[in-house]
Amino acid sequence: MYNKEETLRKLLKQDEYNFGAITFFAKLHKGDTCGSNGLPLTPNSIIIYGQAQSLKTFTSPYLCQYLDIIRGKHERTVVVSQYCGKPLSESIGKSQFQVNDIKRIAFQIITALDILHKKDIVHRNLSTENILLQHDGNIKLFNYGLYHMTCNGKLVSFPILQLIYTAPEVYLAGPNATKSSCRSDIWSLGMILVELVLDQPLWANLKLGQRIRKVLSMIHSNTSVFERIAREHNCFEVYENLDGGLKEFIENCLTVMTKDRPHSKDLVNKNIFNEFSAANQQPRSKVIKEFKTFTIADFYHWWQLAGGDVLQELKKQGLIRSSPPILSMPSLVLLDGSILGQERNPMTLYDPRVALMPLEALYDRLKDVTVTEFYPLFHCNSKIIKNSETNKYDIDLPLIIREKNTEYQFQRIIIFRRLLHSYPYGIDFLISAAEIDIPPWLRGEIWAAILRIKGDYENEYLLIDKETPTNTDRQIEVDIPRCHQYNEFLSSAEGHRKLKRILKAWVHKNSQYVYWQGLDSLTAPFLFLNFNNEALAFACLSSFVPKYLHKFFLKDNSTVIQEYLAKFSQLIAFHDPVLANHLYEINFIPELFAIPWFLTMFSHVFPLHKILHLWDKLLLGDSSFPLHIGLSVLTQLRARLLSSGFNECILLFSDLPEVDIEKCVKLSLETYKNTPKSITTRLHQNEEYYPITKDFNISDISTRELNKERCARISTTDVVKLINDLKDNIVIVDIRNPTQYNGCASEKSINIPFSSVKFGEVGIESLGLHGNMLCNNTEKNVVVVGSEDTDLTLFPKFLLECNVHRVCVLHGGFDSLLAAKPSISFVYHDRNNVH
Amino acid sequence: MENMATRTQTAQRPNGSAQGKICQFKLVLLGESAVGKSSLVLRFVKGQFHEYQESTIGAAFLTQTVCLDDTTVKFEIWDTAGQERYHSLAPMYYRGAQAAIVVYDITNQDTFGRAKTWVKELQRQASPNIVIALAGNKQDLANKRMVEFEEAQNYADENTLLFMETSAKTAMNVNDIFLAIAKKLPRNEQASGASASGQGRRLAEGDTGARAAGSCCK
Ligand SMILES: Nc1nc2c(ncn2[C@@H]2O[C@H](COP(=O)(O)OP(=O)(O)O)[C@@H](O)[C@H]2O)c(=O)[nH]1
Ligand SMILES: [Mg+2]
Repeated sequence: MYNKEETLRKLLKQDEYNFGAITFFAKLHKGDTCGSNGLPLTPNSIIIYGQAQSLKTFTSPYLCQYLDIIRGKHERTVVVSQYCGKPLSESIGKSQFQVNDIKRIAFQIITALDILHKKDIVHRNLSTENILLQHDGNIKLFNYGLYHMTCNGKLVSFPILQLIYTAPEVYLAGPNATKSSCRSDIWSLGMILVELVLDQPLWANLKLGQRIRKVLSMIHSNTSVFERIAREHNCFEVYENLDGGLKEFIENCLTVMTKDRPHSKDLVNKNIFNEFSAANQQPRSKVIKEFKTFTIADFYHWWQLAGGDVLQELKKQGLIRSSPPILSMPSLVLLDGSILGQERNPMTLYDPRVALMPLEALYDRLKDVTVTEFYPLFHCNSKIIKNSETNKYDIDLPLIIREKNTEYQFQRIIIFRRLLHSYPYGIDFLISAAEIDIPPWLRGEIWAAILRIKGDYENEYLLIDKETPTNTDRQIEVDIPRCHQYNEFLSSAEGHRKLKRILKAWVHKNSQYVYWQGLDSLTAPFLFLNFNNEALAFACLSSFVPKYLHKFFLKDNSTVIQEYLAKFSQLIAFHDPVLANHLYEINFIPELFAIPWFLTMFSHVFPLHKILHLWDKLLLGDSSFPLHIGLSVLTQLRARLLSSGFNECILLFSDLPEVDIEKCVKLSLETYKNTPKSITTRLHQNEEYYPITKDFNISDISTRELNKERCARISTTDVVKLINDLKDNIVIVDIRNPTQYNGCASEKSINIPFSSVKFGEVGIESLGLHGNMLCNNTEKNVVVVGSEDTDLTLFPKFLLECNVHRVCVLHGGFDSLLAAKPSISFVYHDRNNVH
Repeated sequence: MENMATRTQTAQRPNGSAQGKICQFKLVLLGESAVGKSSLVLRFVKGQFHEYQESTIGAAFLTQTVCLDDTTVKFEIWDTAGQERYHSLAPMYYRGAQAAIVVYDITNQDTFGRAKTWVKELQRQASPNIVIALAGNKQDLANKRMVEFEEAQNYADENTLLFMETSAKTAMNVNDIFLAIAKKLPRNEQASGASASGQGRRLAEGDTGARAAGSCCK
């Protein structure tokens, strides 16, 4: 028997899963808050927000992982990151380290710095305070991204440096300098190692100014800096007797001239580190990616779901304190907006405190989780085992509740992490899991899998020209600042740059297409979900367009759009004749309101959070699904539309009212499932994705004809399917003359000869008994079958105007039905027998 | 595609107090993308300005009523997409329009050139009596001006266009340009009857019954 407590402790309660937060203020824009375009400047905290996102992708055993950036009031910025172990400063002076320990620490720091420097990130903030010593003696750097996320310190009003660790050239360059060199970090590493070797804090008794002077005095040192510091601290002996390799390494780091100081990539490979770097290289499979059941980021997500609130916690721990507004009133405000007599708010200074986040609430929420939930079963031939795995959670609960439930999301994320890991194998399991719902936390990766993104997408993106100016640039540039700007990602400077690159790449790659306004909105959800993976966002867009918007972005897309809108009108008529007739009467045609819907798959119409839920389902459907979404939007507004004239209707759509997306999705799925496929099949859909079988091919119809037909055509294949379906949901209305009908007709048909109908007066009564039956029908598909000499537009239109549901016309008429003979039966009334 | 934006308005039965004539006009906004068409309409109709105004795809429709002497003028406004590609949709919006505002951005010379093209197209293709106004928008950015006021004024005079520099941001001249258009539009029976398409015909038989007073007539 396993001990449950023990197992959970091992799986969840690890030191590594602890995290904490720091907070600071972004610099406020002074006086003039408008940019040269007359629009307000982007707040610095939003720029930081965008800039910091990429830090979240850094994973290394020697780096604390960044988890989140949160914007508070008045430009407050909160940075959440992994935090475990104890600051190295606490171990100094305790004779804790042997030479070999120091070497190992040096190796781990330089490895971490090398990761940062390779990404062109300068730490600038390195000190013994933000190097965390773990239980096992390894270290992790903490708070290494501050300089980077604040655009090299420009976006905050405090200096980013660590007095005695800061390299002299940083002081010399002054506060307004351009970005520091990576080599400044190497100096800091040297100073830290000196402290470790001498086992004491340097110049501990000096005042702030004196310490800086000390650092600067090193510039004039003609002997080794290390030696000099050792002498100043009466430790020359330690210096003299130090291991040669380590001594040389430290002296290298403390090279005074920046340009002569070595780079991290050279130092990582020094011989003194051989033993560590060998140990570091575990044999790794090239095929199998490393797998973790869950990550600290997942853990943080669950913590938030369980009620964790970083801002609240910062307040509780005193890192955020509000002062009465009156205290921040200026004494004098000049006409030009400058402010005088306001003391500097101490809160705008750098606050080195770290607030650790309590995890008890989360542990408590997950206390009933069983070990099997960590290792879910996918392939299983045994029914007994499968049935024993009853689901604890009610998947019929509203989606919003499921998305907020810690235990449920725990289970979902564990499942999807596994499915994503095995992708592309087991894609079918992933699809069926996604049909239940998609955990928001992993949505980006899940969508990418559903869109069948292949492994080499990064390289592909890399090779596309995203820079050369083109004549679409102006349009892209004016559209981006208008695209979902309420969202912090998309309004950040980084977001603008990324969106521009993706759009330019798309235009470049798809030379058969052009940039249409709206493509920006279409890209937004993918960028939002994959903010740190631009290439994946691009890959998703590139796979989405051919599937759902084939040919929509042709320079001349009018026939494609017209066909789409005509099908839309027919779909409305098929399911809701009353509404269709009303809209037709007031001339409220889809061209006037539905182009932005379909061209952007609703991404120009709805806010992001709604688009995500909508597309969760869209991605699992085919290219006809959007038509059903469109229908469901109309259905939701049905009552208002029916009671409105043209103006009110169009106004309603200029400013689309609240649409309940969950309802929308339900309705669309319903009609999607019970509409014969050929009703919505289009000539212009992508054959690669939707092979048009011969019978589906209702191809020889021009858009002109299509526009005239108010009722959709149905294929023989679908009719045969419906006839043979047990549900018996078809009525065939044979409109040929009685002689033909009596000669030979489908078994399930009724005869209403075309010639017997007076089209002048709309009144189903004239059809007698048959009329009644049709009138009351809502479930059955009413298939009108004619022959060459019967008019196939007037009669269905007549039925539609009589508000008969589900009217469609058999493409090819009676002859094509006859051609399907062996699979359906016919009656010969003349001969009075069945064949 | 022909009749998309032209449709006949079913006159509502008037009720309420007598209020003089009520006229209804169809107005279309044209011009390069991002010159501020949607912003002008938003300012005129709702009195608002959104810095991050969303781009317009296809077209948007709004209405606003203004009072002029004893007449209530109701504008039915079609705000179009600016991108050249959406050009093919434009005719369905300007066909049958009694008025058009062609907008450019005073800080961008190209948009002025594009405005001239629109004017030419309207003169050729739209109804002959159409009232055209030229709006040089973003006047609040006059310090970055690339199109001189005189240049635009001369062009407008040559083509008998109404002309104003406007700012959707500060609201400068926004109501004024719509009012100026309203003044130039035919409000007498003959003139509006003359518009063949039946657009903008007088709606309210002010004498026979009464129609709810437009909200702006206070
Ligand atoms: N400074 C300034 N900006 C404006 C003005 N009018 C519009 N804008 C901005 O210009 C951009 C484009 O405006 P928009 O109305 O969408 O242009 P449209 O494409 O012509 O409809 C938006 O960011 C607006 O905020 C104005 O009068 N002054
Ligand atoms: Mg617009």
